[in-house]
Amino acid sequence: MILIKKILQSSKSVKFGDWFVITLFCALIIISTKFLWSLPQGEYLEIYKNNKILATYSLNQEITKEINGTKGKTKIIINNGKVRFSSSPCPKKYCIHQGWINKANQTIVCIPNQISISIVGVKRGYDTINY
Amino acid sequence: MTLSTINITDRDHQIAKLSAIAVALSLVEFFFPSPIPGVKPGIANIIILYTIFKFDLRMGIWVSLIRVFVTSILLGSFLSPTFFLSLSGALFSLLSIIIFRNLSPKYFSLISLSLIASLAHIAGQFIIVRLWIIPHNGIFYLLPIFIVSAFIFGLVNALVTSKLLQLNSKK
Repeated sequence: MILIKKILQSSKSVKFGDWFVITLFCALIIISTKFLWSLPQGEYLEIYKNNKILATYSLNQEITKEINGTKGKTKIIINNGKVRFSSSPCPKKYCIHQGWINKANQTIVCIPNQISISIVGVKRGYDTINY
Repeated sequence: MTLSTINITDRDHQIAKLSAIAVALSLVEFFFPSPIPGVKPGIANIIILYTIFKFDLRMGIWVSLIRVFVTSILLGSFLSPTFFLSLSGALFSLLSIIIFRNLSPKYFSLISLSLIASLAHIAGQFIIVRLWIIPHNGIFYLLPIFIVSAFIFGLVNALVTSKLLQLNSKK
């Protein structure tokens, strides 16, 4: 800190335009943090197998799903707005250790079994439309 | 046998010396542990900024690209994703410097240029990551961390460079 202060004092090269750029940069930091770190609550769960959507479930239910991956059966528990892997045939169990997720755009990936789940926000406004 | 007719000028020697310093700094940085994976101070860019301001832009481009290639060969990451990340970062920051070099020196010093270039560096790397390495929108969650680090290190590098330029002009 003292070093930076010393350099700042001795350089005297911070000009008017630099403060402008610094301000812009700080604004960018604040805006990006606000937009990118405010995750809305998730509504739907998408289950992927080999990068293809296998199924979509609503998060507002209590249910346990079993999915056949390339190595074996993966169990996924949905519990009123949050979701986790409860059992998986992979060796390191990273997917299980990741625990519950509940925000939109959060994901859990199990690479050995080629299963991944991803929470999405409000997907569609209507279930059905009749005319 | 044909004689080689490459004339090695003083300029080439200068480029070689500056590139060597930049490569050395990159190597030091590589072996330095980073608190957050992926966040690096980019201290080699001090040399590139110094070159651009002390000499000219063409020489800065030479030093920057030589640094990227030589460092990757020395670390064994040539043509690997790491190399392409580093290359795209370097190209984007050079491009931003080419675009913004005509900012009036009355109002803007090298601090502005360094901040713009560090932001462009992050942008270039993120474009490559999003398109090729991790094609998923989830990575944008990490963007604020990288923007903050670009800000801090862009500023620190610029201050160190201006100090270096000052020390050198006094001689």
